[in-house]
Amino acid sequence: MTSGKKSFHSEVDFILRIAGEGGEGVISCGELFARAAARTEYHVFTFLTYPAEIRGGFAMVQIRVRDWTIYSMGSKLDCLVVFNQQAFDRTIKELKKGGTLVYDPQAVQLPPDLEATLLALPLTELSKEATGSVLGKNIVALGALGHLVEMEQRVLENLVRDRFASKGAEVIKRNMEALRLGYAYAAEQAWRRILLMADLRPKGSQYMMLSGNEAIALGALVAGCRFTASYPITPATPIFETLTRLFPLVDGRALQMEDEIAAVSAALGASFVGEKALVPTSGPGFQLMTEQLNLASMLEVPLVLVDVQRGGPSTGLPTKTEQSDLNLAIYGVSGESPRIVLAPTSVEDSFYQTIRAFNLSERYQLPVIMLTDQSIGLRKATVRMPDLSHIIQLDSHVARTKVKIPQPEFINLIDRAEPTAKELEDYRRFRITADGVSPIARPGTPGGQYLATGLEHTESGKPDYTPENHLQMSRKRFRKMEVIARSFDTNPIEIWGRADAKIGILGWGSTAGAIREARYLAEERGIHVRHMHPHTLSPMPHRQISNFLVRLEHLIIVEENYTGQFAHHIKAHFGVKAIELHKCEGIPITPEEILRGIEKVAGIIDEYSIAKL
Amino acid sequence: MSTALPNYRRKQIRPVWCSGCGNYGVLRGVEKALGNLKVPAEQMVVVSGIGCAGRFSHYLNTYALHGTHGRALPIATGVKTTRPDLTVLVVGGDGDSLGIGGGHLPHAARKNVDLTYLILDNNTYGLTKGQSSPTTPWGCVTKSSPYGSPEDSLDVLPILLAYDVSFVARTTSLRIEEISAVVSKAMQHPGFSIVHILSPCVTYPVLKQKALRERIEPLPEGHVPDNKAAALQLAYSSDPIYTGVFYSIQKPTLDARLRHLQESALERYSAKGTPPSIPSLMERFL
Repeated sequence: MTSGKKSFHSEVDFILRIAGEGGEGVISCGELFARAAARTEYHVFTFLTYPAEIRGGFAMVQIRVRDWTIYSMGSKLDCLVVFNQQAFDRTIKELKKGGTLVYDPQAVQLPPDLEATLLALPLTELSKEATGSVLGKNIVALGALGHLVEMEQRVLENLVRDRFASKGAEVIKRNMEALRLGYAYAAEQAWRRILLMADLRPKGSQYMMLSGNEAIALGALVAGCRFTASYPITPATPIFETLTRLFPLVDGRALQMEDEIAAVSAALGASFVGEKALVPTSGPGFQLMTEQLNLASMLEVPLVLVDVQRGGPSTGLPTKTEQSDLNLAIYGVSGESPRIVLAPTSVEDSFYQTIRAFNLSERYQLPVIMLTDQSIGLRKATVRMPDLSHIIQLDSHVARTKVKIPQPEFINLIDRAEPTAKELEDYRRFRITADGVSPIARPGTPGGQYLATGLEHTESGKPDYTPENHLQMSRKRFRKMEVIARSFDTNPIEIWGRADAKIGILGWGSTAGAIREARYLAEERGIHVRHMHPHTLSPMPHRQISNFLVRLEHLIIVEENYTGQFAHHIKAHFGVKAIELHKCEGIPITPEEILRGIEKVAGIIDEYSIAKL
Repeated sequence: MSTALPNYRRKQIRPVWCSGCGNYGVLRGVEKALGNLKVPAEQMVVVSGIGCAGRFSHYLNTYALHGTHGRALPIATGVKTTRPDLTVLVVGGDGDSLGIGGGHLPHAARKNVDLTYLILDNNTYGLTKGQSSPTTPWGCVTKSSPYGSPEDSLDVLPILLAYDVSFVARTTSLRIEEISAVVSKAMQHPGFSIVHILSPCVTYPVLKQKALRERIEPLPEGHVPDNKAAALQLAYSSDPIYTGVFYSIQKPTLDARLRHLQESALERYSAKGTPPSIPSLMERFL
């Protein structure tokens, strides 16, 4: 256990990693541990990586437990559990000096000079004893960890029983024995406890334990989405899996289609007839969907697409994280078609941004793309249960107001504006209005029949290629973007840190937590940093970003890709110079890595003398 | 709702088809079928793809979606899945349905989604001015095959039968009454119905009206449409080219299948079979 860094107001901040081979149950071991920890008053945050193949290859899960809000997966490990030599070799450098290493002596050769508390745990042997095979290694490890952090055995027993409930009494019995042997072995060896969780007050019922993907599914559910269509793709599939389980219970429908093109097409069809539709996918699927997104822009049909980004290009790194689909999201289209691009910053934020995405899409009748990534999508975190008794349904006719960002205490929903009886008398589906939004008739409405064509069309929907008409309708479609951009400028400002700081950091998406922690670390060292993290990447809150940039002497732009897509975007829009901090390794950037960047910049007198760190 | 034919015509938009185009006959036949069935125009969605046949959705006064090339079928699947109350008609040409969009056919068939698909086949890409299409015969000279098409043409009906499309029929633009009758039956069929309509192009006459007229013949009177083997045999015949309902069977529609899943989900998760509230669903993640 580490004592807290005072400026975080944190007494407990514990980082555990379990590493082994895919198929050894490493990740389910970590998830059970995280689930048990989440039942205490601590906050929990997990990060995992598994091989693209079901079995074989390196797999690991990292769990951070803290008595305060957790913003990132943290940096160095307090405790490392390794199942085999490869896992040891790949992760030992991440262990803190003096940290605790739990290893299987039968599988791991230790070098002589390790500065760590070494705890040998005969995983293979104990697993064979309990279950007759090596399949129980993960549960033995879970038991030993239970002792190490003083977790009540009963809590873990219940979780293990739930996990194996569908596998029958015999399997449950064997795993219970594995768990017991793990606890007993650690107790016999008198392992010194590194964290005390047993005495903690159990948390009230107000926290969920969610992955980012699950948070998106639940956000869609709350937003009133009742249709999804998808094609399996790592790491986005759990969004569809969650919705396909929940939708039948609430009269919603989920279709697994034959490919991504069919999936987005079905969603477009569903939205055309009045349903809120979600399309979850990842980069390679997203690029197949761009043609239909373009059509949605042209037909002015609401549609929400989630891209859980993974390493690219091409098949790339299916199970790793990267922020490299920004250009595709903003620009990936033939012709010019308006769309909104949002980037949630955490698991909890994924929930609220999904609701916001539906609200924006319905309000402005255009596609909204949400860019999350593997690191948010698959990790689990504790998320406060929102107050669902205060959902306010805005009237789309009265509420020509802006769409507010939903919060735990305050969720607004808005549905697309339908034509009034008077508007139906001379119904023009694409009527030119002050904000570019025209009421959309729901099929079944008498007198509302219209043609939605991907050809350039007039206000009434008739194909028309005349110069005046094309200009007029392009203006109409892009007027929506101007209105949206203006409304974004009145959103709460997403800037943290001292107003007089000369160093600014700009990031997007999942790096928010790591940047925030880096800022705290820098402040401890006397370096003041200002951090801005816009949730909306296109159209951008222009005035807010300008106000942020104008006070700075040094700007650092942090992102997880090779070429600096966000930096290009910022430089193009605002004409500023920036120091770019990229990480393109398939794993999330850590607070320490960002801190090193800040320290270098703080030591530089003339930032123009370097291009990149 | 009056059943007078002009009520199904969208008056503001005039067809772009060449005069003498087979598609006029098809449009007329479909209007008659809609009149027979008395479908209210506002209860109907017509989805079409790209090409001359793709313009079909422009001319009927219903809700209409004229989308991208080849994607009419999955769009319509989304429409029908969320709104089973609507009548859905899908129209595409041979390129749209069997070329760029051909991959969607077996999957719509597997779902048995309750809609009617009209494949207007003229053996060529007309809108792009006469290139060879998936149904252009081998050796045929077109603009994109100046020395003759190097590929075999697709035999459309046997493919649809192999996919087990639950209603398969063929007719031609030369017989408006037959179109009306067959399309009526197709639209009344609960499940995925396809009507393959041979509709010659006058400007790029790969499929020639005269040759077609000489070869078409109604299906033998004794043909029983639930006999797939017999249907296949008749479907393979190229002279005569049979017209009529080749195959028609009953199997659960996508809507029925999803309803069934919904019932079993509710049974499993709530004792009374009543839908749970959203907060109670979220509590399962605590």
